[in-house]
Amino acid sequence: MHVKRRALTTALIAYAFLAPALVLMGLFTFYPVIYGAFLGFTDYTIADLAAKEPPRWVGFANFAQVLGDPLFQTGVWNSLKYLLVVPVLQVAALAVAVLVNQKLPLMGLFRTSYYVPVVTSIALAAVMWDWIFQKDGFLNWSLRLLHLINWEGRFSWLLNEHTALWAIMLVTFWRGFGYYMVLYLAGLQSIPAELEEAAVLDGAGAWQRFWRITVPLMKPTLLLCSLLSTIAAIRVLEEIIVFTGGSGGPLNSTYTALLYVYNKSWGNMLDANFGVAGAAGLLIALVGFALSYLNFYLTREERGGRA
Amino acid sequence: MRQEVAGLSKAAGAGRLRRPRWRRLVARVLNYALLLAIFAFAVFPFLWTLAIAITDKTVVGGTSIYAFPQSLFPKALTLGNFLEVVEKLNLGKYFLNSVVITGLTVLGTLLVSALAAYPLARMSFPGRNLIFGAVVSTLVLPTEIAFIVNVLTLRDLGLLGTYLGVVLPTVATAFGIFLMRQAYLAIPSTLMEAARIDGATEAQILWRVMVPLSLPSLTALGIFTLVGTWNAYFWPSVALLTNDDLLPMSVAILKLKGQFNYDSFNVAAGAMIMMIPVLVVFLLAQRFFMRGTEGAVKG
Amino acid sequence: MVKKLLAAGMLGLGLLGLGGMAQQRTVEIEFWTYYLSPNFDNYIKGVIADFEKANPTVKVKWVDKQDTMERDLTAAIALGKAPDVVNLWQDSTFAAAQNGLLTPLTELTTQAALENAYYPNVLSIFTVDGKPYGYPWYGWVDQGVMMYNPELLAKAGVDPNGIKTTDDLLAASEKIKKATGAYGWLPPVKDPNGASFLGRFFLEGLSIYDAQGKANFNSAAHVALLQKYVDLMKADVIPQELLRKEAFQLTNELYSQGKVAIMIGGPQSLNRVKESNPDLYKKTKVVAAPLGAAKLQTGGAMDLVIPKASTKKREAALFASFMTSRANQVKFANVVPIVSTARGSENDPNLRPKDPNDPIEVAKGMVSGSGRFINPGFKPPKNTDDIFKNFNDNIEAAFLGRKSAKQALDDAVTFWNANAK
Repeated sequence: MHVKRRALTTALIAYAFLAPALVLMGLFTFYPVIYGAFLGFTDYTIADLAAKEPPRWVGFANFAQVLGDPLFQTGVWNSLKYLLVVPVLQVAALAVAVLVNQKLPLMGLFRTSYYVPVVTSIALAAVMWDWIFQKDGFLNWSLRLLHLINWEGRFSWLLNEHTALWAIMLVTFWRGFGYYMVLYLAGLQSIPAELEEAAVLDGAGAWQRFWRITVPLMKPTLLLCSLLSTIAAIRVLEEIIVFTGGSGGPLNSTYTALLYVYNKSWGNMLDANFGVAGAAGLLIALVGFALSYLNFYLTREERGGRA
Repeated sequence: MRQEVAGLSKAAGAGRLRRPRWRRLVARVLNYALLLAIFAFAVFPFLWTLAIAITDKTVVGGTSIYAFPQSLFPKALTLGNFLEVVEKLNLGKYFLNSVVITGLTVLGTLLVSALAAYPLARMSFPGRNLIFGAVVSTLVLPTEIAFIVNVLTLRDLGLLGTYLGVVLPTVATAFGIFLMRQAYLAIPSTLMEAARIDGATEAQILWRVMVPLSLPSLTALGIFTLVGTWNAYFWPSVALLTNDDLLPMSVAILKLKGQFNYDSFNVAAGAMIMMIPVLVVFLLAQRFFMRGTEGAVKG
Repeated sequence: MVKKLLAAGMLGLGLLGLGGMAQQRTVEIEFWTYYLSPNFDNYIKGVIADFEKANPTVKVKWVDKQDTMERDLTAAIALGKAPDVVNLWQDSTFAAAQNGLLTPLTELTTQAALENAYYPNVLSIFTVDGKPYGYPWYGWVDQGVMMYNPELLAKAGVDPNGIKTTDDLLAASEKIKKATGAYGWLPPVKDPNGASFLGRFFLEGLSIYDAQGKANFNSAAHVALLQKYVDLMKADVIPQELLRKEAFQLTNELYSQGKVAIMIGGPQSLNRVKESNPDLYKKTKVVAAPLGAAKLQTGGAMDLVIPKASTKKREAALFASFMTSRANQVKFANVVPIVSTARGSENDPNLRPKDPNDPIEVAKGMVSGSGRFINPGFKPPKNTDDIFKNFNDNIEAAFLGRKSAKQALDDAVTFWNANAK
């Protein structure tokens, strides 16, 4: 009886803490998201919205249409390829975080400068990256200095279907490492200094300390960052629009899954097809769920590791 | 605690006392070389934008802003582009709107996330996993039509065209709750248990133990929210459809890209005006998420 | 259901109100423009003030929209707070009209009155399924004038007056590239919006559709034309970057750097040169533009539409025709070199150049009154986005050497005819 009452009290307190979030998310996130998902099963276009016609239930028709569309298939495949940026980005961001977690002169300025790409407007950054990737651009020029390419056979990195997606992934990397660096920095602060000191006294090298102390204690942050980064990669859109004018070229080699949704909704609002966009969005979400589950699974807590 | 160039060399970090002086120097030089290389990688578009923003366009001469690397070295400097943008767009009013909207959003997000994450991380109650799963799932679910649904809700609540209407729908986010939950999870549970034994209530534990210990994560969340809100233009433009007096600077600055008279110098100055306040806040705020290094042992 | 009843009730009340006391009450209409503030604040506010003076019972609330125009408009319509007069363009007018968002203008005024006020060729740009949906506003021409860098042409030994056709222009481009390393002219072959290469066909007098309205742009002549451009790109006479960037943007970037010798189009290009390279601007010369074999000028225009959801359509129509009247368009052309789409503008004395030595003034004199030559080209198919996307993908494959020109056009025609609803 006493135990039960305590459990009830705990639940009440828990829900009191959760209340503001649940009310606001319920109204402004869950409700529209569920409505958007529902539209995936209906025939609903901008014309219906204008005429105040309700959505018409069509079951899985939109899903069949989307799955049968070669463009969507290409999009999903390219988005999956895009995931390769995730491990590279996370390892680099963690390494940079460890690097700037030192107390050295000017470190504050370095940390701030690494955050600059996060706040730089992508449209302006694109102008510079464009110049780098051009046929006579900085990248080919540097590769020639290093004798890595045959100058006559050089090409624009954004106009070759084998390199365009990789080039854009590099820009995502550039925009992302400072962002995750901040999260990792925050995570690093939660590692008790005493643990590190003890390890140093035991003669553990930096590499050992990193793997035996930093990584295990940072698991919550690692999960957070890898999950966010995975979802961002599978939903990549902005970079593609800026670098290809929304075409996903050359030869659809940079056409991503979300570009498909974008072209059916946001990007083309006055001709939007919310049913098809919703169905495509749900299919992408399914992939996202599977990948999220994988992230949770890979970073699952082994009990007793902490405290 | 100092993290000496982790990953660079095993020997370099093997105890400061045993390390000869010259090796420490080499490590220091390598350190800075790496820091500078990443610095160049990170800031080059920023420097280009800055160079154009301070270029005196009246004496630009024969080079174009797209000519690299010449345009990185302006012939004559001026702050005229900044003044022109501020005056032309009447930015003062929009700047204040941005400050209010961003300030309210950051405060709201921190409050809501810090509260909601606590039970999700540290209390056991029925529905916990379901709620957490639902919250995280909104990160991947389609949101294409959310803006239409949300303006209708705002209208029904009578909040359309108010600061609150812009702010409220954006403060409770899966990202914020998830981030804070992970931060709380990293706090040793012994600290909580000790507080419980001392008779602290859950609210006291949250306020006196969890929040101070997760200050680095709270700061990170604050900065991310700040950047996101400061730069957002689409949602404010819809939520303030009926009241353009409250529009933030991010919407006003779009006006620089007209079809005629596309002035790249002004566009660059506008981009700087948007970026600099955020970077200043970052520069000042970072000591909060670096807090842990302060108490570290010296040498 | 309840909402619907309420809406019906409100509509009824609204109608009663309008019938009863429309005479006395002041009506406020909302007017949305696209990227015109703050550069043209004085002009727009001036016209609004003139209108309010002439129509004391109508107040105009002006809002300038940017990037978010289409989404804002959708949200406003969903909210039941639709603006009354909105500045759109051909693609968006088509999409909005086909989806029932707009009022056909013939409900508010007669076809004859419209044809009397605007060039019929421009009016037809905004005619969807036989009904006009947009009051033609400021326009532009794709050919317009030829602006060139005399130093580069002299170096290559090219006489600008000898360039009369598109073929001359391409031949000159080859010479310029060889002699100077700079590009001559950058033709739009695959701009991000629309289907630019169809324009190339059209300008050379090649068909897009057959008599039944089926796509037929895969004849030997079409293939030869595409092949010609493919070869030019292979030889780097035209840059490969045209597959990724809008020709207009790329031309502007490169012309200012002296890396492109010739610009074809409206005088608005000169504004950018003037800002980014004033020295080159002063040297730039302007002559009549060469034309394709069909001797046509393509172009386009902005328009003012009245959403179906507007509750003040009568006042909206009054204002839209005032804004787009000849007097007001000519005034606008004197603020910025646009093409007036109001009938009779070609004879307007206010469209003559004021300074014969200023490139923008000269160009303005040559194009501002040329609205009667704006040819809308061909009607876009229904299901435009998918079809144009497929067309551009095929053109790109031909340029990148992944498909033969013939194969690319055959594939595009097949897809087109299968998907144009």
